This record gives sequence, C-alpha cells and structure tokens, in this order.
Amino acid sequence: MAAQRQASSASQTPHISPAELSYLYTSLSLPNAPIRPDGRSPTQFRPLTAETDVLPGTNGSARIGFADGTQAIVGVKAEVEKTASATDVRHLSEQHDEYGAGDGEQGEGDNSKAGQGSWVQMSIEIPGFRDDDALPVFLSEMMREPLVGSVADESGMEGGLKGRLVINKRWHWRLFIDVCLFLFKEIELGQVVLISFVMQVLLLSQPLSYPLPLLSLTTHLALLSTKLPKLKSQGEEDPFFDDDWDVAEYLYPRSRSARGVSQVRPPVTLLVISAGENIIFDPNREEIAVADAVLAISITRDSDGDGLKLLSIRTVDPPSRLTQPGVPNSDNVATLGSTAAAEEAEIVNPSTGEEEVSGVWRPRRGGVKRSTIAQMVKTVLKKGGVGEEVLEGLEGVEVG
Amino acid sequence: MKSLRRDLSANPQAENVTSKIFVRSTKSGKVQKIVRELYLRQDIPCSSKLCPICPSTAPVDANGNIAPFVLSDQPAGTKAFPRGHYLVPDTNALLNGMDLFEHTGAFYDVIILQTVLEELKNQSLPLYNRLLSLIKTDEKRFYLFFNEFRLETHVWRGPEESINDRNDRAVRTVARWYEDHLRGATRKGKKEKAVPAIVVITDDKDSIRKAKEENVTALSLSDYVSGLEDSDKLLDMITEARDARDVKGARGQLFYPEHYSMSKMMTGLRAGTLHQGVFSVSPYNYLEGSVNVAAFDKPLLILGRDNSNRSIAGDVVVVEVLPKDQWKSPSTKIVDEEAVTRNDNPDTEDNEVVVTEKERKALQEEVRRAHGSTGEGRPQPTARVVGIIKRNWRQYVGHVDSGSTGAQVTSGRRQQTVFVLPMDKKVPKIRVRTRQAADLLGQRILVTIDAWDRDSRYPTGHFLRSLGELETQGAETEALLLEYDVQYKPFPKVVLDCLPPEGHDWRVPASKENVGWKGRRDLRDLLICSIDPPGCQDIDDALHARQLPNGNFEVGVHIADVSHFVKPNNAMDLEASLRGTTVYLVDKRIDMLPKLLGTDLCSLKPYVERYAFSVLWEMTPNAEVVSADFTKSVIQSREAFSYEQAQLRIDDPSQNDDLTKSMRTLLHFSKILRQKRMDAGALNLASPEVRIETDNDEVGDPLTDVKTKAMLATNSLVEEFMLHANITVAAKIYSTFSQTALLRRHATPPPQNFEDLSNQLSKKRNMELDVSSSRALADSLDRCVDRKNPFFNTLVRILATRCMTSAEYFCAGAHAESEFRHYGLASPIYTHFTSPIRRYADLLVHRQLASAIGYEGEDGRAGLEGISTRSKLEDICRNINYRHRNAQFAGRASIEYYVGQALKARGEKMATTTGDTGIDEEGYVMRVFENGVVVFVPRFGIEGVVRLEDFVLPGEANIRAVEERRELAVHRETEFDSEEYTLLVREKGHADKQRAVTVELFQKVQVNVSSVKEEGRGAGKRRVRVLITGTEN
Repeated sequence: MAAQRQASSASQTPHISPAELSYLYTSLSLPNAPIRPDGRSPTQFRPLTAETDVLPGTNGSARIGFADGTQAIVGVKAEVEKTASATDVRHLSEQHDEYGAGDGEQGEGDNSKAGQGSWVQMSIEIPGFRDDDALPVFLSEMMREPLVGSVADESGMEGGLKGRLVINKRWHWRLFIDVCLFLFKEIELGQVVLISFVMQVLLLSQPLSYPLPLLSLTTHLALLSTKLPKLKSQGEEDPFFDDDWDVAEYLYPRSRSARGVSQVRPPVTLLVISAGENIIFDPNREEIAVADAVLAISITRDSDGDGLKLLSIRTVDPPSRLTQPGVPNSDNVATLGSTAAAEEAEIVNPSTGEEEVSGVWRPRRGGVKRSTIAQMVKTVLKKGGVGEEVLEGLEGVEVG
Repeated sequence: MKSLRRDLSANPQAENVTSKIFVRSTKSGKVQKIVRELYLRQDIPCSSKLCPICPSTAPVDANGNIAPFVLSDQPAGTKAFPRGHYLVPDTNALLNGMDLFEHTGAFYDVIILQTVLEELKNQSLPLYNRLLSLIKTDEKRFYLFFNEFRLETHVWRGPEESINDRNDRAVRTVARWYEDHLRGATRKGKKEKAVPAIVVITDDKDSIRKAKEENVTALSLSDYVSGLEDSDKLLDMITEARDARDVKGARGQLFYPEHYSMSKMMTGLRAGTLHQGVFSVSPYNYLEGSVNVAAFDKPLLILGRDNSNRSIAGDVVVVEVLPKDQWKSPSTKIVDEEAVTRNDNPDTEDNEVVVTEKERKALQEEVRRAHGSTGEGRPQPTARVVGIIKRNWRQYVGHVDSGSTGAQVTSGRRQQTVFVLPMDKKVPKIRVRTRQAADLLGQRILVTIDAWDRDSRYPTGHFLRSLGELETQGAETEALLLEYDVQYKPFPKVVLDCLPPEGHDWRVPASKENVGWKGRRDLRDLLICSIDPPGCQDIDDALHARQLPNGNFEVGVHIADVSHFVKPNNAMDLEASLRGTTVYLVDKRIDMLPKLLGTDLCSLKPYVERYAFSVLWEMTPNAEVVSADFTKSVIQSREAFSYEQAQLRIDDPSQNDDLTKSMRTLLHFSKILRQKRMDAGALNLASPEVRIETDNDEVGDPLTDVKTKAMLATNSLVEEFMLHANITVAAKIYSTFSQTALLRRHATPPPQNFEDLSNQLSKKRNMELDVSSSRALADSLDRCVDRKNPFFNTLVRILATRCMTSAEYFCAGAHAESEFRHYGLASPIYTHFTSPIRRYADLLVHRQLASAIGYEGEDGRAGLEGISTRSKLEDICRNINYRHRNAQFAGRASIEYYVGQALKARGEKMATTTGDTGIDEEGYVMRVFENGVVVFVPRFGIEGVVRLEDFVLPGEANIRAVEERRELAVHRETEFDSEEYTLLVREKGHADKQRAVTVELFQKVQVNVSSVKEEGRGAGKRRVRVLITGTEN
C-alpha cells in the first residue's frame, strides 16, 4: 500500500477487477450517453451539504459533506507578520513623513501592494496519510496556486488575495488554511460535538473519491467567511487593530451595488475526467479509476461579475495507468483452446492507439485529445454551464 | 446532515449559553480572535435589602453564608424621588463625575454594572481603581452587579449595533429589571414597602431619549445633581472637558500640535526614532523641562510650551529630537510662571497664544545665550514632545489666583472661570470653572486636571474640595500629605481587627511551654538598652555587649519583632505595604502600623518583656567578626536612653555599672567599625537638615525651635551597629533567596553627573573632584576645605549628594550581583532590617530572615508566603521606593513650612515694636542664574531664590516692602558670566561700582530672611524672602 501511495498522487485505485474496470469504462464511454454507476448525468454533482462558520475560534471556516459521508472541514487563521524585505526600518520611517504627500510615489506604492504567494499556507490532512506524503502536498499546492494566482484587479481587491494580505510596507497577514478531510458515517445520536469527529478521523478509511473538488469548494466557502480584524493604524505605522470582532472586515470584500451584494470570490477547482468522447464532472473514485484523462480546472468569476474566467488547468496523473490489465481470452493460457475469443472484433483504442479487445481492460496510457480539452473548458465556462452552476450553488450558501 | 455549528436552538439550556467574541492584540504583536463562552445564571442577587427573594437563591460560600446585601432598604430620597432611589450610572457618568460619586454628601446606594466597570477599566485605569475602592467600602453602599452573567440582564448585541449602544442598552435593561424585580419581590413579601426609584445616570442624550421610550428613569449627571442639596458645590465637581469641547466646537484655533497616534508612536519607538521617558520640569524655570530616555546618558532638554506640548511633570511622554540647529542650552534664568503670566485672563481664549509675548522674550534671550557662549552654555540636545503614553495626573493642591477671579467676584452664584495655582511650581496653572469663586479665595483647595486640549493654553480641571483657609495648620498639613500622596486616613476597621485582641494588656507569655516561645531564645538576662532621639515612642532597636569567657565579645542588636504581629497578606499587612513607611512631619507622625503595635506591643520599651529579632555577633577586641547568629528572642530592655543621656552616662566616670560598661564597649567597637567603613570608601554625605522641637512654650522666639542637627558620638554608635546588622542580614537573606531577597542598593553615579560641580569647583576654588570611585570621591571631598569658611565643605557635600542617584530597594534577581553595591556606604550588599515599625521593607526582610533561619512561627506555618514571588516583591519595591521618596519630601516640606511660619510669627511679634525687619543670617550662594541666585541658609536649612529686586545695593534706601522692592527690578541690570559663575547687579545708568554688587558661586553672603506676604495679584500667598544685604570675601 505504502509504495503504491508514493507512486502516484492520484493512486487511490479501488480494488476493482480488470473485468469490472472494463465494464465501467465501456458504460462511461458510451457515445453521447454515458451511464454512470450512480446514475447521474455527466455534469451532475453529487448532492452536498455546506455550512460556514463552524469553528468559532477561526477567522473563517466551512464544512462540506457529500452524501457518501466524505467530509471536509476548513479552518482559516490569520496572523500578523513582519515583511521580511522591509529591512531598513529607518529608511522607511523617513519616508513615512512624506506618506500621503502626493501621488508622486504611487508607482512605488503599487509595488508594495504586491504580496507574496508564500503568505498563504495550506495544509491538508487526510486520514491515513502523513502530512509529507505526496498526495496532501500535491493537493494543497494545486489549490493554493489558483488562490494566490487569481488577480481580480478592480472590485475592491487590488492585487488579488496576495494584495489583500498586505497591511503596509512592513507588515502583512499570513493566512493558514487548514483542511481536514474525513469520512463521517452519520451517527444518529442527536448531539454530536466536534470532538467525536476528531477522534473518528483516526479510525476512518481513505476518502471515497479523489478529494480535490470537495476540498476546493470547502476552502472557497471558508475563505468567503473569513474576516480580518479592522485596522486602526494608518500608513506605515505598526499595525494596530480594533478589538471589536463585529467590525472585522471580510477577507474577500463585499460591496453593495444596485444588483445586490456583489463580491470578489475565491476561485474553485473542479475535477473533470474524460472517458472516450465523454466528459464527466465530479467523478467518484471508481470513475476516476478508469478515466482516460483527469483534469483539475480552476475558474473564478470574471471581475465584472458576469462571465467566468479560466485560471488554470492541471492534468492529474490518471490512476487507470496503474491498474492491472485484463487478459483477453485469446491470450489466456487457461482458455487457449477457445477460438471464440480470437474471432472477437478488434477495436483500436483511440487514446492509446493500442489494440482494444472489447470487454478486456487495458490500462489507459494517458494522453487526451485537444478537442476533448476544449470541450471540457467550454462546458465549464459557457453561460449556464457547469462552472456557473457550481458557483451559483456556492453563492447560495449563506455566509457569515 | 447534522450541522457542526453549535446549535443552541434545540437545547433547552441554550438560552443561558452565549459567547463573547473579540480581538486581542498581544504585546508580541499577535492578533487573535478570542471566543469566550458565557454561561448565564439566575442566582446573582440584586443585593437590595428590600428583596425577600434573592437571599434565598444567592450563592453561598463554603460556610453556607451569602454575601451581605449592600443596597439599603431605606435609600435616601430627593425632591424628585421622595420614596428613595438607587442610582445606575453609565460609564460616561463615572468618567465625568467620579469625584461626585466619592463625595460623602450624596450618591449612596449605587449599582455599578460589570459592563460599566469593564468599560471604565479600558478608558481610565486610575478611575477604575478608585471605583473599585469605592465598591469595597461599606459606607457608600456601592454594589457591583454582574449583569452580564445574569440571564435576565444579559444583552445580546444586535446586528449593526455599536458596542456603545449595546452597553447603554445593557444599563437600561438592568434598570428596568431592577424595577420589575423589586416591585415583584416586595409585593410577594406582602410588606407594603415603597419601592425605590431606579435612576439611570447618563450623559448620553441619545440614551436618555431611548430611556424615555422604554419607560426607564434617566437623568444627566448635572440634572440629577441640580436636584440635590448643596448643588453648587457638587456641580463644580463634574468634569469640565467634555461639554466645553462641544460648545467651542469648530472654533478652530489650535494652540498645540496634535499628538501622534499610539501606533505611530509605537512604530517610532521600536524604530528608535522616538524616545520614551518621564517628563520633568526644572524647579527654577517652568518653561524648561527634561526627559531622561534610555538611549542617551544625559536627559534631553525640552524648552517652551510649544515643545512640551501639553505634558505635565510626571507624564510618560514620547519625544522626538529636534534638528541640531534648534538645539539650545539649558536656561540660566529663573522664570516663574506666576510672574510671567500674571495678566492672563482665564475666560477669554481668543487672543490667547501658546507662547505669550513675554514668554517668547524670555525664550529669545536664552537662544541668544546659547549661541554666544561656550562651555556650560553649550547647546544641548533638545527635543519636543510628540505624544503622551500615560498621563500621571493626580489631585493637585493649590489656591485660586485672586487676579483671575475678575470683577464679578461679588456677583453671586454665577459660574466663572478662574485659575488655580498649584502648590507644585512644576505644574501649570489649571483653569477651573466654579460657582463659588468668591468663597474659594484664600482657601487651600484640591483640584484635578480633566483634560488639556489643543485649543486651550492651560489644562482644564475641576474643583474637588476645600482643605481650609490658607496657612492654617490643618489645611497646610493636609495639603502636604495630599501633595506627597501620603495615606493619612485613620486605619479602617478591618486593619484594626488584625491587632491582638488583648490590646495594651498583651504580654509575653509567662510559660515557656506557650507556643509564643516556640523557636525563641530567652535573652531576658542580657543587659540590653535602647538609644533613640528624645521622646521616641516607637523604639525599633536595642543593643547590648558583653565579654565572653574566651576574651571575645558578644554584641547583639535586637530589633522589634513586628513580623510576629503582622501576618502576611492580612488587611494590616496590605495596608502597611501600601503606606510603605511612617511619615514624620514637624507636628505629626503618620504611622505605617496602628499605634498599638508601633508605640506599645512592638516597641522595645524598657523594663518590659518584648519579642525581638536578634542579631548576635562574636567579635574579637579589634571588632573582627568571628561569627554571626540570628534568632527570634525575648528580651527585656534595661533602659531607654536619649542620645544625650547615653552620652552623659558614658562620659560620667563615676558610673561603672555593667550597663554603662557595656555601652562603653559598644562605643569603642562602633568607632572601629566606622573607621573600617571610612577606609573602605564610605561617603560622609550631608543634607541640609534642621530639627524642630515643638514642645517649647510659646513665650520665646519661635525660631529657637529650629535647630540644626547635632551629631553626638552615641548617634554614630547606634548608626554603626544598625549598618552592621543590615549588612550581615543582607548577606544572610541573599544566600538563601538568591532571586527574591529584598535588598537596597545605591547605584554608582555616572561621572557626568558630577561634571557641573567639578567644573565649578576647579574654576572657583581650584579644587579637584575625583569621582573615579567612592573612596576617591570621599577623599577629594575631604580636601574641599576653605579655611576661612568652615561651612564650605558641608556645602560641597550637599551639592555632591544632589549629583548622586537615590538609593533604592530592589529584588536580588533584578540586578547582577556586582550591581548590589551601596555606593554611599561602600558596602557590597545592603538591606534594611532595623526599623520594621516604620518601614515596610524591614518587615519583609524580617520575614525572609525568619524563613532563612528556619523559624516556623507559632503555628509552624510562617513559610515563604509572600516573600518568594519575585513579581510581587518587585511591585512592593516600586511602591516602597516611591513612598520612601515622598515621605522624605513631605518631611522636608513640613520643616520648610514650619520655618516659614516661625519667621512669620516672629515678624508679627516684631511688627508691634520695631516693624518687621527680618532676621540677619549667613548664606551661601549655591547657584547663579542670569537674573538671580539661589542662596542656602544653613541656620534654617532653606534655599531661597534671590531675584534682582532682592539685592540690597550699597547706598540704597532701606526699603523692605515687597511691592516697593518689585519696582526696583526694572531699574536694574545685570552682567552674568556663565564661565566664572558671577553675577553683577547694578542700577541702570550707574556705571560705577558704587551702586553695584557682585556675587559669585560658593560665596558667603549676608542675608536677611523674612516671611513676606505677596501683595496685589498674587495676594494671599506667603513666601520666605531672602535679601542679600552684603557680601564678604
């Protein structure tokens, strides 16, 4: 197990026989009408429940649970930190007399507005994994990247999240995003307190599906609910904050406009797989196991609030690569005498170019068609598409 | 799916759980969100004696008793509330009128809310502490109601509601609850009692309006007070600042630069561009201040009101060093606020400028000086105040400036603004609005400062109370005590309860089986005696010496065993630790411990058995210590001598009893010990002390009471052994408590402190001051002798003493061992052990020593309680250092006042016969300024400022009246030589030396001392005037 875990970031292959894999793949790749094991449509997400502000001690928190019992809790903590590059304090304080003197320095001021990606720290805890295992590290990096990379220039968040973390030239916030993922079998006891969750984590098996989308959505909600204490000091002074939590400001500022409350939102990352010509969203674990390609697509609302914006696409090493191939009857020593197998039609696998024997599982060798990727992106970004649907769903969650 | 959020709706207990969320910024710079859960309860009592319900539900202590109820069942009524009332003040009411709440004439039965108390703590720590002590006293019936914890009165903050609004709502909620609760409760009780009205006191207009809507009685502080008797006096006690600011509003004239914001100051302090320190003001020039900051050796100079920017002596300020071209030299002029700003009108502010024309002139002259001179007049780093970290405002004693009351003094009860001149010259005059200006003239009054806004030249304050007429004994003594923060109220009952129940009949137990004898050695057979000043009642120490069979001597110092009677942490101990020391005034002693202990049970009176703490040495005939021993003991003093009596007895060859012999041995040893100490480099310092013996009858010249202290050999006898005991004990407790031993150190003064004096000496007398070590200093001081002028040496010693730092108590862990040194005594370690009756430090040292020798006490529990916690000890050290200093100041001020009074009495007596001509004495010039000199008069131990008009020039008419002399000032001019420390005063237009007088530093001059009444605008004030009548060379 351990060696396998190390081998691939997405190597959560369930124990499925080659025949089952082949069956699954065949039904998923049925042209235009894939049949998913749980009967969902290709773009349908599993039902989930979400809530925010579950951890009172954090700056912001959220929880999302899938119906299968997989859950993620995200807590966001912020800490004030001295900006390392601000070494020459005296130099700065000389400047600060001129602070606010005019726009002449604005150019320099812009520079100072640029935060650093390293100010956002993310750690993911998945039961059964050490925190330095490849999977948690890879996942956290994959989620952190669009977070710090997305730059919404206008609506109140200059320089994106990084810029928002800048307090002044010498001080900034450091954000700690802690993600905890686990399977929770609902206990109908009425009163469940958090402590029992934490204890359960130790007993839990691995999550049932590739956890990226779950984590991403939860992180999204947690960040939305995150507040930072209101700054009372000005300019280049050492930061000094209002002690009233009620006046704390959202990390992702909200502005009230004619259209209602509009808000800069953190990005979400969706997991998409392809099987044959079909594009399938929110794959479960079995579906991923047979996917031709696995893509993590990060999107965010466009700055004007209408359209969607593609932030990044990352290919994820498909776990199907590591599955055991099935042996066609023709090659099978045990069934060598059987001639029926040899007569079976040979289909060429489009993605691997290899001979494909129907009903016999061949591990996917990776590679995905350009058109498929284009199709995926289009499905996500188009008006009324999956991306919008997801974001609208998230916006429906009451935050704060 | 089950929500993770703490859902309270489903919980039947939920309504009593709530949480409080806030942001906490730690010192290390962390910013945390803190969530506290509150569990509301219903058993917090209303504490009204009317209520029959609460006593049954109130929480009980371990003995099953409930806390006694505070609020009276028959609260006082007013015209508006004839059936009695309880007050519920909000935070602003307390901020504006704390003095009212402390007033004994009104404001009883007050409910203080937890919400209000916490808010007050955030806004003003001193007021918070005052409120706490109010709550603790029983008389005023203040009840602290924990409204936030009681279910019915807890208030949830609404959405978008500010904290202030929420807290105001909490106050109103409590008021309503009290009303309903009391009404319900009394009805149930079936006793038809009148329910007192619950009156909210708030200065927030919005809150008053809302209260009206909610049917809660609410009044503003001034409206409420107007309905009371004596409202004029009470109204004066409301803090002025707030309203005044509203009225002035946008009128934009700002006199002072704005203070930096706290965060800006912190940034600067951390970056090292700004500095923090305590602002102090020169006693000779009220416009000149200085701030000692950690970054520099010498204090930074702060010149002028602009730069001192509303700081008052004692404030902790943040300063910024000015550019070098704005540096100035310290002032060489005597500048008196009273003299310079005599004509200010307190009511008009329009034509007010921060620096009046006259002040500006005074400053300009200084700048000129700074530029044209070298040497002492060199410009020094000058800074300006940019912000104030902590105000150290207190209550100030002063009197109304008669010149400021204006013309309408007689026009009755109209409110007017007057200036109050504080007794402390370092504090600027305070603008006070009062309705009783006419009554207050000629009174010693107590005022506080409320605010000093940018648009006001002087701080604003309000009147607290009158101490009585100026120059009456009672008023002046109380003024002194208040001014030096001496706790002089009689001991409260809780303290007296700690005294032994036997009172004066307490005796050392006769049976040695008694627990009192546990761990005590029986030293009753030793020939012990005490030697003290005449009339001493609190005898701390007694001595004995006897020869041992081996030829060595046993010498014992026996100290009153105060720690036996004052147990750690009881009310008496806390009171004593607060008082810190006994304060001796000329006519009064303010005790640290109740009289029963100080003058009887602890005092080592002769002929009776007393508990003592003894230090016993075995000494060789050469006074080498062979061994030292410490023990608790029982002694019986054979005799209590005065210094004089002891001296006589020792000197009388016919006396050859054992007691006298033992005293002779002691004297002999003390001389050896003294010599050893001097050889080690102990300093023989001098302070200008005079003694006043008040028991003289009234017939004679009052001035004969004033005596300079005589030094007898027996003085030094006692002193040497006390020093020796202190040093021995210090070493012992330090070896046991390496971190917490309470020690006393006298830091080696930095050489630059002596710079001025050393310059002056070499210039004027060609004498060297070697400050490389205490030994060198002692030797060079010995060489500073002027054969013609025997007092010169003492004068130099007085001046040298002022260059040194003052000794301080500290906790062993606070300094490195090498820093323990007592510079003046040339001892590597020192503490105070020998006067536990009058000093708290000694009491602590007693406890530490007892613990160090394993003494267990009567109950075997006299452990380390209270003497081994360093942080606590450090707090105590800070306090007793402060109290000790203040006690000294108060003592000196008392003597000074007495001398002034004696002069006045003499003057009055003379006036009937010959007219007041003052008294002719010798004086010595201590400092030379550009427009005057400071003269020290040893006979009375006083220093007098001699201004221009007070120089009697040769050939001048014999003018003595103050007013007439003042006229002279304008006709005079001076030549001041800062290099040579000389001042030539002459009449304008007379170039010849006939009509001139020259004085120089250290010079002996003939002076005429008298007490004169200030005429005209400064009327009602008396000062000691020193006239220079002649010089001799």
